[in-house]
Amino acid sequence: MATESSESEEEGKIRGGNDKLIVDDDLREMSKNAAWSVSSSKPGNGVNTLRDDNLETYWQSDGLQPHLINIQFQKKVKLQLVVLYVDFKLDESYTPSKISIRAGDGFHNLKEIKSVELVKPTGWVCVSLSGTDPREFFVNTFMLQIAILSNHLNGRDTHIRQIKVYGPRPNPIPRQPFHFTSMEFLTYSTLR
Amino acid sequence: METLLANCVEKNLNQFMFTNAIFLSERLFAQFPSEVNLQLLARCYLSNSQAYSAYYILKGSKTSQSRYLFALSCLNLDLLGEAEAALSPSEEYVEEVPGGAAGHYLLGLIYRYAGRKKSSIQQFKMALSFDPLCWEAYRELCSLGAAEEASTVFGNAASQLLQKTCVAQRIHCSERAFIDQLTNSDKASKDTSLWQTEHDPGENQQDLKTKQLGADILPVTDKKLNSSSHRNGWDTNTPSPVLPQVLDAPPPLLYKNMRRPTMEGLMSVHGESRNKFVSEEVSAEVPEESGRRRSARIAAKRKIPMLQSYGKDSHWLHLSPSESNCVPSLPSMIGKCRIQSSKEATTSGQSRSDSGSSVDNEENFNPSESSSDPFKVISGISGVLNLLKLLGDGHRHLLMYNCQEALLVYQKLSQKQYNTHWVLLQVGKAYFELQDYFKADSVFTLAHQMSPYALEGMDTYSTVLYHLKEEMRLGYLAKELISIDRLSPESWCALGNCHSLRKDHETALKMFQRAIQLNERFTYAHTLCGHEYAALEAFEDAERCYRRALSIDTRHYNAWYGLGMTYLHQEKYEFAQHQFQQALRINPRSSVIMCYSGIALHESKRNDEALKMMEKAIIADARNPLPKYYKANILISLGDYHKAKKVLEELKDCAPQESSVHGLLGKIYKELKLYEKAVLHFGIALDLNPPPSDAVKIKAYMEKLTLPNELEMEEDL
Repeated sequence: MATESSESEEEGKIRGGNDKLIVDDDLREMSKNAAWSVSSSKPGNGVNTLRDDNLETYWQSDGLQPHLINIQFQKKVKLQLVVLYVDFKLDESYTPSKISIRAGDGFHNLKEIKSVELVKPTGWVCVSLSGTDPREFFVNTFMLQIAILSNHLNGRDTHIRQIKVYGPRPNPIPRQPFHFTSMEFLTYSTLR
Repeated sequence: METLLANCVEKNLNQFMFTNAIFLSERLFAQFPSEVNLQLLARCYLSNSQAYSAYYILKGSKTSQSRYLFALSCLNLDLLGEAEAALSPSEEYVEEVPGGAAGHYLLGLIYRYAGRKKSSIQQFKMALSFDPLCWEAYRELCSLGAAEEASTVFGNAASQLLQKTCVAQRIHCSERAFIDQLTNSDKASKDTSLWQTEHDPGENQQDLKTKQLGADILPVTDKKLNSSSHRNGWDTNTPSPVLPQVLDAPPPLLYKNMRRPTMEGLMSVHGESRNKFVSEEVSAEVPEESGRRRSARIAAKRKIPMLQSYGKDSHWLHLSPSESNCVPSLPSMIGKCRIQSSKEATTSGQSRSDSGSSVDNEENFNPSESSSDPFKVISGISGVLNLLKLLGDGHRHLLMYNCQEALLVYQKLSQKQYNTHWVLLQVGKAYFELQDYFKADSVFTLAHQMSPYALEGMDTYSTVLYHLKEEMRLGYLAKELISIDRLSPESWCALGNCHSLRKDHETALKMFQRAIQLNERFTYAHTLCGHEYAALEAFEDAERCYRRALSIDTRHYNAWYGLGMTYLHQEKYEFAQHQFQQALRINPRSSVIMCYSGIALHESKRNDEALKMMEKAIIADARNPLPKYYKANILISLGDYHKAKKVLEELKDCAPQESSVHGLLGKIYKELKLYEKAVLHFGIALDLNPPPSDAVKIKAYMEKLTLPNELEMEEDL
């Protein structure tokens, strides 16, 4: 759980449209089934701006550090990737620098699973939730908390423009232990 | 003036100059307001896709023809109640449904859209009884699941009916010829006088026109005709089998109406004229009959508007071949009636035989020889009916999902007929239902190459490509279809399938919704919408879409399957099982549905039934490896590891690249404590590139395997 050394600059994909993020086919966005909340926000820059698919709008916090974004699911879900859109060029001292990601069943037993430091990021930043152990590829949890511990240039409040959370796709055939991989099986697996 | 305007309007309609026709017919109606002219105006509006205009002007009309056109407009505007009221027999109106076969067909459609299945079946059957060549009625019956054997529908009774109508038409022709001769004998006479000689002298031109065009030849005459020979009443116009669009129906009706006045005219003229009918003219007429049949058949196959086939009929109105060919409409015949004074009898005879030969070019029935009439007629009729029998049989089998039988039937068709878009489409669909996607792909590709403009069935083709995961070809197809016709639901379905294959379910959903907007009654688009919602895990929306699809077409088993899947995902196994049963009732040979039914049974803890269902699935389709896999899964859960192992061992050879098989085998060996074999199979499973979630699982299993060993070893130490 040691703090990783500084994450280098991530090149954001500036082009608009659906595929601006390149995410694996076998991942899908999980955020729709979740309840999002933040520790504080400035009026007009609330939590909905994190989910509006609009990179112009941003969430601005309005309190003491660490600033928290809480994502709560109705049931335990497997998560693999968290993606943030932040831009140093636009936000300067509001750009987050040290981020800690915690998971658990609720507010009472969150544990840090990942910690990163961003250095002048401009675009989509992908944070993988897998541990070093191959067994810990996914995080199976009820709740995820993204904590902004510090900002660039020691800013107090932070701007984040968009957040997406990804997990594995479910098996298209319910109640089966494994996915099908070969064409013979896949052709017969569904009707359309 | 009236005649001139009316002729002009007819000509314009034939040449598709609809705005001109509308203008002129509006002037005509303003100057000479009559039922006939009203109907002409309505026809102009309907041809120009202005059903609402036709609706307003025809509202309240009582005459049969008007009622038919009114019902047509209502149907177009989705006003089913009014359409039905217009068409149904009641005390105010004549007992009959106006329009004969076409009217019954229209009424059948109305009932079908309203969901009144029994009434619609009845109406379609009546349509077929009036006109055995009303193919669309048979098609609707097939899709409702209520079609009789094609051999009975297109059998002897039909043949006799057609023969009778041929006879009647021949008599008409002869009379026409006679009238022509009359015309030629007194060339000086003008249109009106001509008509007056043959009809009751006292009538004015207005009445004549009424007789010509109006079906409201007064109920009295209707009854007279009906009583005399019912067969010559409404059903004389047998070559009107195809109503590709409901809007195109008016011309056939007018054709019928035109015959009736002539019949009536005949009757009013006393018997002497009949005796003078020149039989030699009749022989030349026969080619037209068979030509008409052929053209009707071809029209039926290609779904060309019946207008063209009637155009060929106009031969017997002594038109020059070129003229008749380019004026492919029934109304033209009526128009020609009026100006026939200008035609020579000799040229007429010639033109008829000429046109007869021109028609014949398509088929090899040798009509140009004026050989024995009855024989030619009968052979022509039997040719058509045989063809329809084959097609009808094949279609019925396909819609009852007896795909193998359907394929056999279609193989019996001649090369020429087989290599047409429609037939290839049916064959492709048959393969698709058999889950033989490779063959379906090749057939559909051929069909598409043959007729790239024909969009029907391209949605099924896109689904085939989806199953085969051919992203490139599917994308190309979708693009092509959209460029051909942006307003056809099939193109949007193909595009939606394309996006869905790329897992972009939201966009796919939008595409399918567009398809629905273009045509609310396009069942498949609703089902596909449902599939997309299910992929997005929005199960209530998915259910809603599937139920919409089912409300339009109860026999759309894909929607039942979709419903079952949503319930399966939501773990409502009893409901799921019920939906799958419904699907199986419609398509009892689908091994995929049987598999899912088995899964639902297994989850409902009815394991014996589940296993039986899997056995059924294995028998139903030997190529489907999944029932065996599911069977093994069930056996594992029941603890019968050895049987499961046996099943999987054979499966392993069928599908060597399938990692899930090895995963399951690994699990079995773990339970049987054969750890080395378990590790071996888990290893193979991992090598076969399962998705990450599975890979994690398998690695976890492998870890657990080695641990007990280590513990043992440690204990030993």
